Amino acid sequence: MFEKVLTRNFGLPRSESIGVYIANGGYQALPKALHECDPEQLIEMVTASGLRGRGGAGFPAGRKWGFMPKGSDIEKYVCVNTDEGEPGTFKDRELVEKDPHQIIEGVIIASYAVGAHRAFVYIRGEFFLGVKRWIKAIDGAYAKGFLGKNILGSGFSLDLSVHRGAGAYICGEETALIESLEGKRGEPRKKPPYPASVGLWGKPTLVHNVETLANIPHIINRGAEWYSSIGTPKSTGPKIFCISGHVRNRGIFELPLGVPLREIIYEHAGGMTFDKKLKAVIPGGASTPMLTPDQVDTPMAFETLEEAGTMLGTGAIVVMNEDTCMVDVARRLMRFFAHESCGRCTPCRTGTQRMLNILERLEAGQGKAEDIETLERTARKIQGLTFCPMGDAAINPVLSGLKLFRDEYEYHVTHKRCPV
Amino acid sequence: MAMVNLTINGQKVSAPPGSTVLQAAQLANIDIPTLCDHPALAPLGACRMCLVEIKGQRNLQPACTFPTTEGMDVQTESPRVVVARKFVLDLLFAERNHYCMYCEMTGDCELQALGYRYGLDHWVYPTYTKRFPVDATRLYFLMDHNRCILCRRCVRACSELVANHTLGVRQRGAESMIQADMNVPFGESTCISCGTCLQVCPTGALVDRRSAFMGRDIETEHTKSTCSHCSIGCGVEMVTRSGNVLRLEGDWDAPVNAGVLCQAGRFDPLYDERERVTKPLVRKKGELKETDWDTALQAVAKGMKGTKAQKLGVLASTYATNEALYLLRKLFSQELKVSNLGLLNKVAPVISDQGSLADIAESDIILVVGTNPVNDQPVASFFVKRAVDKGARLIVVDGKDNGLVPFAYMNLEMKEINRAVELAERAEHPMVLYGAGITKNAATALKKLGEKASFVALELGVNTRAAAALGLNNGFDASAAQALYILVGEQDLDGAPVLQKVGKDAFVVVQASFKSPLTERADVILPMAIWSERAGSLTNTEGRVQKANKAVEPKGEAKADWEILSLLAAKMGKKLGASLDDLSALAAEAIRPA
Repeated sequence: MFEKVLTRNFGLPRSESIGVYIANGGYQALPKALHECDPEQLIEMVTASGLRGRGGAGFPAGRKWGFMPKGSDIEKYVCVNTDEGEPGTFKDRELVEKDPHQIIEGVIIASYAVGAHRAFVYIRGEFFLGVKRWIKAIDGAYAKGFLGKNILGSGFSLDLSVHRGAGAYICGEETALIESLEGKRGEPRKKPPYPASVGLWGKPTLVHNVETLANIPHIINRGAEWYSSIGTPKSTGPKIFCISGHVRNRGIFELPLGVPLREIIYEHAGGMTFDKKLKAVIPGGASTPMLTPDQVDTPMAFETLEEAGTMLGTGAIVVMNEDTCMVDVARRLMRFFAHESCGRCTPCRTGTQRMLNILERLEAGQGKAEDIETLERTARKIQGLTFCPMGDAAINPVLSGLKLFRDEYEYHVTHKRCPV
Repeated sequence: MAMVNLTINGQKVSAPPGSTVLQAAQLANIDIPTLCDHPALAPLGACRMCLVEIKGQRNLQPACTFPTTEGMDVQTESPRVVVARKFVLDLLFAERNHYCMYCEMTGDCELQALGYRYGLDHWVYPTYTKRFPVDATRLYFLMDHNRCILCRRCVRACSELVANHTLGVRQRGAESMIQADMNVPFGESTCISCGTCLQVCPTGALVDRRSAFMGRDIETEHTKSTCSHCSIGCGVEMVTRSGNVLRLEGDWDAPVNAGVLCQAGRFDPLYDERERVTKPLVRKKGELKETDWDTALQAVAKGMKGTKAQKLGVLASTYATNEALYLLRKLFSQELKVSNLGLLNKVAPVISDQGSLADIAESDIILVVGTNPVNDQPVASFFVKRAVDKGARLIVVDGKDNGLVPFAYMNLEMKEINRAVELAERAEHPMVLYGAGITKNAATALKKLGEKASFVALELGVNTRAAAALGLNNGFDASAAQALYILVGEQDLDGAPVLQKVGKDAFVVVQASFKSPLTERADVILPMAIWSERAGSLTNTEGRVQKANKAVEPKGEAKADWEILSLLAAKMGKKLGASLDDLSALAAEAIRPA
């Protein structure tokens, strides 16, 4: 049985309070990091642990820290990305609501490692309880001297505050988050320069997902070796999987990376509801291509899913049974992407809208044979053309749907209705 | 500086470090199509028209934002690029209403030109799916959202060039719309109708009301000139067709304004409804009668010659050309020895000569003293607001109603000038903009800043600097004049203060373009050409001498201001230079500070 790391306190009463966190071994990594390690050692440790970003792209955290310019004379910032918006993902919210101090400890250590004295929490505006818990947790940390001036007598100071977003999916993208944090319209910036060199207010900025930061205290406490022993060689550590759709136990499960998809669906999530047949699985959130039942033994790790033609993304598993109309799935997801496109670049702004129109037509039984071709051509042309990766994300549901379930699209055209 | 070497379409190109692929291509005369990019604006990379194929890059990259690196291999028209551009055009043409034959901009539209270039002959996606509003609440130009491609040139022009920040984008995705302020009609917004957005719009989304449907660009003529509104001296381009000025555009190559204009420079001159004087008029038996030039000039010469020099008076507008002001001084002050000379406008005292408008951008503290550029020299206010955006501190030493007060760090009264001077002394690059409203004490206090600060006077008349340099401003007394020569020119003036003092029997000659109370009183009226009808040169507040050109023929028998004075001099037997070029050179020589 896998020993829970990130969610170990979730079952405790008042798990969000600082007292419960400290009573269960919290804030022990912090003095260790501040008194016993210098920033270089911390960066090395995180690099050795093999921790990869949990926000979707899976970028190695240690390398990201290493990109930050050295030197104490440079003003630097750390941003905590709590703008969880990928359909099917609900792990960050749980982390913030149930164990925010774990993240704060991670933020302090990360800020110390990169030399930042100001950190910001950017949280989704709709996370009402999350905002409250963040603020309360930060207050608690200040009261105990974990935040503020001269933390634990180490001479290191850090201020942390909460900024509420206005509810745009695109603000989960790090440069759009920075724009929004600056008070501007949430739209991505052009890269390069990357935030590690020019970020918030033009200063080097480290942007991390909540779950990534929550891992940091454990790496410091128990060592990089212990951490990298969890999971697969290329995808180390525990991961919170969010499972939703047609399974008996929907919710979050903390499991080591590399756990087979079958185990998650049939053991942890209790199998398919009403024992229906599995039709398709979205393994990592709305923007990742789907998997079919014959791929259900794929281990849930960055590299294995990439081999299977999809992505781990945020680890949001959406399970669909045999009664699911795949055109409707694509339509729903496309409606999300068309709605969330920032409107800056042409292919994403109007391309998603065009694909949505076609999908709506098909679903309504008014589609023509050439519509499927236009849909596929549009999706393929958008690929690689957009300003930010969102355009590439938006076409995945369509392209993977057409690849795996083209007959269902054609059925909609020929029979003017759903096959299911 | 080491250049970056790269290959574009097999051609070796070297570009300065830091340049984008697009800039490198432009240096080598390789054309990469753009829509959202504009040379005067920061690149955005939004429209995806300028995508190019770069060896080693998985995806196509926008040339407008992608930096050049040594050894880069770029293809600008590869099959993959052409497919992508066509796709972008397919999407753009179908997004809103781009039905070219009904559009005012047909033939001049950048989107349409690209449609032709990439052979768009049908719509791939259904179009006209949605109707968008047309906002016609502004007086001079309207916004048709149906033609908008959301390239955001207007938004960037409004914030980067004018620093007015009126325009923005509301909603997101396909619902995105250009809006003013918090979505109010343009006419009710903070828009100042400078028309910079109109000038950068690549499609027919922003349409000038006056020149709409008056002809395509190819059917018009463009004449570069200098704006005759204020002492900034912005470069303009007059767009004319069949002897009519259709519209004014900012000249992108102009040294002072670099393409930006204000409402007073771009629109107001074309909406002038004052009645023109088109023929010479001479008063006979108490009534003004039309006559020919010869008779009129003869009458003036007779009146002037019959009066003693001490009893002669000359009043000049600061809106006249260098040549006219030079002739006025030469003829009256030097030849006829008249000492009673004056100007129709108040002139700011010269504090210091060092400084140019370009210094505003470099300054860290800006003092605006006794002048309201928002009303009088709007383009200068754009420069100030741009500097404030960049972090400069603005101190307005003027009334609370000064238009720059909302942008100011501090608003002081004229008697508190020393506080402003103290703050400016601590800055690295202080800038002082002052106008005729400055008091003597304030001017003395500002002198303390000395060499450290840049000083620029913001004057009302376009040619105030030349008029002051020519010494036409030495305490005019209307009551002392028995014969009076008034060069009103184009100035909008009721002339009441002058008329009250002028004696009943005085002989008054008015050289003017428009009818006014002054022309009512005149004994002789000499019809003068306006800004679009005359050539000459103008001196801006920095002392920069710029050419004004003629785009259309004068109305009726009107003549250029300097031509009238030259003819008058000849009538009085004085030869004062013949051709315009000779006069310009003589005038420039006379104006140049010793």
